Amino acid sequence: MPALGHAIGVAALAAALALVPYLSLNDFYLQILFTIGVNYLAAAGLNVLVGYAGQKSLGHAGLFAVGAYTAAIANIEWGINPWLSLVLACIFGAIFGLVIAMPSVRVSGPSLAMVTIGFGIVVEKIVTEWTDIFKGQAGFYGISPPSLGGVSFTNLHWVWFVGALCIATHLMLRSLLAGRYGRAFLAVQMAEPAAQSVGISVVRAKTLAFVISAVTCALAGAVVAQQNQYFNSDFITFNLSILLLVVVIFGGSGSLYGPVFGAVILTLLDAWLARWPALQHFTYGALLLFSLYLMPNGIAGAVSSLAGRWRRTAPALPEVAGHSVLSARAAPAGGEILVVNDLYKAYGGIVPVRNVSFAIGAGKVHALIGPNGAGKTTLLNLLSGHVAPDGGSIRFEGRETVGLPAHSVAGLGIARTFQNLKLFGELSALDNVLLGAHLHIETGLAASLLGLPASRRTEAKARADALALLTDLGLGERADEPAKSLPYGLQRRLEIARALASQPKLLLLDEPAAGLNPQETHELGEVIRRIQQAGVTVLLIEHHMDLVMGISQHVLVLDYGALIAEGRPEAIRRDPKVVTAYLGTEEDEAA
Amino acid sequence: MTAFLQALASGLALGAIYGLIALGFNITYATTKTFNFGQGAFLVPGSLVGVSLLLLAAGKPHFGNLTQAEMTMTAYVLATVASVVVVGAIGVALYYCAIKPFVGAGGLNWVLSTIGFGIIMQNTALAIWGPASIAVPSPLGSDVWRIAGAGIRPQEVLIAVVAVAVMVGLDIVLRKTRFGKALRAVAFNPQAAAIVGINVETIVILAFVISSALAGLAGILIAPITTASVFIGLGVALKAFSAAIVGGLTSPRGCMLGGFLLGVVEALVGLWRAEMREITIFLLIIIVLVVRPSGLMGARSVEKI
Amino acid sequence: MTTLISRRMLGALLVSTGMALSLPAFAQNEIKIGYNADQSASGAAELGLSGLYGFQAAIEDLNAQGGVLGRKIVGVVRDDAGAPPKSIQNMNELIDNEKVAAVVGPTNSGNALAWLHIPQQKKVPVVSHVATATDITARYAKEPQNYIFRVSMVDREQLALLAAYAVKASKTKNVAIIADTTGYGQAATKDLQEILALHGIKPVGIEKFGPKDTDMTSQLAKLKAAGADMIITGSLADATAQVLKSMEKMDYYPGLLSTWGSINTPLINIAGPKLAEKTIFAASTTEDASDRAAALHKRLMAKHPNMPAFVSAAQGYDAVMLIAAAIKQAGGTEGPKVQQALENLGAVQGIIKKYEKPFSKEQHEALGVADFHLAQWKDGRVVKLDDAVVKGLTAADLKR
Repeated sequence: MPALGHAIGVAALAAALALVPYLSLNDFYLQILFTIGVNYLAAAGLNVLVGYAGQKSLGHAGLFAVGAYTAAIANIEWGINPWLSLVLACIFGAIFGLVIAMPSVRVSGPSLAMVTIGFGIVVEKIVTEWTDIFKGQAGFYGISPPSLGGVSFTNLHWVWFVGALCIATHLMLRSLLAGRYGRAFLAVQMAEPAAQSVGISVVRAKTLAFVISAVTCALAGAVVAQQNQYFNSDFITFNLSILLLVVVIFGGSGSLYGPVFGAVILTLLDAWLARWPALQHFTYGALLLFSLYLMPNGIAGAVSSLAGRWRRTAPALPEVAGHSVLSARAAPAGGEILVVNDLYKAYGGIVPVRNVSFAIGAGKVHALIGPNGAGKTTLLNLLSGHVAPDGGSIRFEGRETVGLPAHSVAGLGIARTFQNLKLFGELSALDNVLLGAHLHIETGLAASLLGLPASRRTEAKARADALALLTDLGLGERADEPAKSLPYGLQRRLEIARALASQPKLLLLDEPAAGLNPQETHELGEVIRRIQQAGVTVLLIEHHMDLVMGISQHVLVLDYGALIAEGRPEAIRRDPKVVTAYLGTEEDEAA
Repeated sequence: MTAFLQALASGLALGAIYGLIALGFNITYATTKTFNFGQGAFLVPGSLVGVSLLLLAAGKPHFGNLTQAEMTMTAYVLATVASVVVVGAIGVALYYCAIKPFVGAGGLNWVLSTIGFGIIMQNTALAIWGPASIAVPSPLGSDVWRIAGAGIRPQEVLIAVVAVAVMVGLDIVLRKTRFGKALRAVAFNPQAAAIVGINVETIVILAFVISSALAGLAGILIAPITTASVFIGLGVALKAFSAAIVGGLTSPRGCMLGGFLLGVVEALVGLWRAEMREITIFLLIIIVLVVRPSGLMGARSVEKI
Repeated sequence: MTTLISRRMLGALLVSTGMALSLPAFAQNEIKIGYNADQSASGAAELGLSGLYGFQAAIEDLNAQGGVLGRKIVGVVRDDAGAPPKSIQNMNELIDNEKVAAVVGPTNSGNALAWLHIPQQKKVPVVSHVATATDITARYAKEPQNYIFRVSMVDREQLALLAAYAVKASKTKNVAIIADTTGYGQAATKDLQEILALHGIKPVGIEKFGPKDTDMTSQLAKLKAAGADMIITGSLADATAQVLKSMEKMDYYPGLLSTWGSINTPLINIAGPKLAEKTIFAASTTEDASDRAAALHKRLMAKHPNMPAFVSAAQGYDAVMLIAAAIKQAGGTEGPKVQQALENLGAVQGIIKKYEKPFSKEQHEALGVADFHLAQWKDGRVVKLDDAVVKGLTAADLKR
């Protein structure tokens, strides 16, 4: 039904566009429709960056400028056909999106705001000052609009053309955001370490979001320059950057329809307010000040909470048969899957991991125990690549992983959970598991943008598999609930499900029984056993000794960053060093 | 050489202004992880309120011009107090309207709400004072002091002295006083601060009052140099924001250092090619942030996994 | 989710058609004149706002005399906030919705350049009353009918006068340019370079500063090092005053020539009476230039006591008067006819002067070099400069 309704909506919009000539709108109204379209175009991409990838940019006027000046210079100076100029504008937009992404992905918070503001201002100053090339305020006059069949675009054609661009952009972004890319953006926004743990490259995801926003913004700029047939540096101001951001946030960032609301309402409001020149600034001020108070998630948020039924879609039944990862039965492999040698990590004077060496046999369940503050979680972070060691080596299936970023380590087949749960809270349980399977949903960017049948099939299969895994773990009924609304025990289990979905060879569990009641702990033991039967090697950190002794075949004991004992559970239980370590550490501070 | 000295002197004078405003960003960021993006608009009443009171006292319309004789040191101090009090009080309104609904919620909503508050305030000022600028004489006169051939105005020296004094004062207050400790406690963990009996909201409001008052102070201090007008704030505040970020938003000394650094770089680049000033400064800032994301003197935050 | 998209389209259509329907009924007995200028957003807003006061005063006066062709004149005012997209939108609204007979505006040259093609294509005369960029009236000069006129200083004209003085007065022929980075300053720089080239002079330095800068010592140091003894500025009054203050800091006083903005009181208020005397500028009218000017000044100050720039108000007033005269002469408000009438006006009494055939096919500037003179501040008043250099200036020196 949603797909059908959406198709009807798009068709209605197209039909409405086709009817525009019969409304006998004058150029003023056509210009307003055009402006709505342009604002939507720019905001739609920016929404991917701001609302999905969580990167706030206050410098997109710079990218708007890239598109506009590419269109102007390509046409006037290089004599390039307007259609081709538009394509060039998108390409240059993408290039500059990469340029701004390079510093931006390294910073966050106010520093990110600063970097993007800085980019916007540098571009503004360049186009203003470098008059030999960009002509400053005098500007480019006589930019040719595209023509069809020898007829140059009129304002009506422009409305059609921009309308078509908007529909195309909407459809592509809708397809992209519904699939693995959209999930990856959200994952990066919600919990970076968890995103890395399922193999998502945070840098690459953010960069892609920057590039997408840059392309639509540049396209908007190019279209404005061509439609107006004139462009100068006065168009590019810090205020434009703010306006674009306001369209996104006021409309509702992170909603596919937020930019639509933002563009339509703000453009109309602006045109309508023009008759009261003294009032317009006050209205903008009040809008910025109060609207987000009344509607924290913008208009789209307010609308969808008013009509809650849109959110509560019934769990979609898989179109194809799913296959749970856990249902596989693999014979226990032999040999050592992970060899750690002389691993060392220090934070100033504190040395949580002190020249640790050990090996992990494939197909077994290993437990890492030790008093609080012994360095267990740090060791796990080193193994998963979330923290880089100061010395030593980690070889996974014979391959050195030290120096690899966390997402690459995940790609090799090491999955993990987190002591302090790091679920993607706003996403459904199903989406969390789908994110776990991120690396196995092999859909290219182009295929995903265009919603090609192959990409839809892949997505449907992944969805069915994920649902099968959830069902297998007793979470099938709650697949569509947001992860954060699940009971604590189920959240722990969901995190394991997410890790399993990445089809790991080695699964690292950080205190999976923490906070569980006895019944849940017992069930957890069963789950871990099944994981082992599926051929996955397990390394778990755990304080719960019954669980450790019950399921593990090999125990490692860490104290003050050093490995003090290892061996079979019953041997460890009697090891005097281990007993001392535990008894003598009651007064130790918690990590 | 004289040109270089002149650029250095002018740059330090400019940098002091940036630093002073940057301190206002520091104090609220330290407590709430938010700050007033519309701080530039707060310079506007800062410059206009005090001056207008003096004008009214002199029997002139509130948008007239003061003569040097009417601008005594006493009058200037009174005007400064008036500006600081009025703009500080606006800070309370800012907190309730633009910060309180969004603080702690994450996201960017507070950025837009504070910009919105600033727009309303600037346009209120436009309605009261009109777009023209009001020339303000300096209480220290308009003579030029010369140091090794480089000229500097007494007002510029005054600004630098006040800015550094405010920075040192803030530094001491934050580290030595009960209020400072409470403020740092709120910054570190508001819930825990509340448990040990600190009135968190009062502390946060005070932070915004101080921040706004600093903008008011900056407004009246720069008025004799820039004139008092509805349009003085935006450019300066953006540079001040840059100074805070590049120096370290979490450190008062960093903010001041960032201010001086920006001012001096700006003046020195002006010796080379004036039109390259902004481009150079912002490229430099981007590079600094890539190397040190939390600024030159900012505390690095490490995310615990 | 799904109904949203159709809903928003419906909404858009409803609102836009609603707006179309709610159009103010087009009254036959009214003549509308549009005003589209920045009144709130940039430093130049004071010129746009002052211009608006003059614009409104002129309409009042016309209506007091029974309007034009027996029809009431209605001013339709829009604020473009100095932003080109807004200015374009306002222009479309004024022409297509409000059906104005003519438009007065804008403040910023960059905004004018962004929408010039709209009134030109729709055949609606525009009289620019503040923006000074030479290109504004020149872009369509070669078209059969050029709809863009101006009642304001033309950069090129006043700069020609300043350059002529600078070249004559300079002993070393080391003339330099310093201008703000706005379009105004940069257009002036370009014009000046071309004019100086006609004098066979290449400027020894060209410097820029931001419109809100307060310290230009770095730029002046470079000009000093280059040996400049005459500097021409392209900036508004505030910035020119800051240039003077920076000169004082450096104790470096070359001849400083500035544009008409220096006639406004901000210059003397910011720089102080002593320093203000150190610049020579191109001046047109002042409030005490004539009885008419004095009367208008008094009347406007009574209503708007903080009006900053009387010259802009006078130009706004005169722009309306010229449009009204043209409509009267054309016997209607059709654009092409009004345009023709503007090019063939007889005598029209304005504030700045009595215009005698102000425009023609070739001439779209109501004010020319003959309407201004070089002036200086002396003891807090603007006085006409009459030194040996000025006396030595001949028509041949005014190269442009």
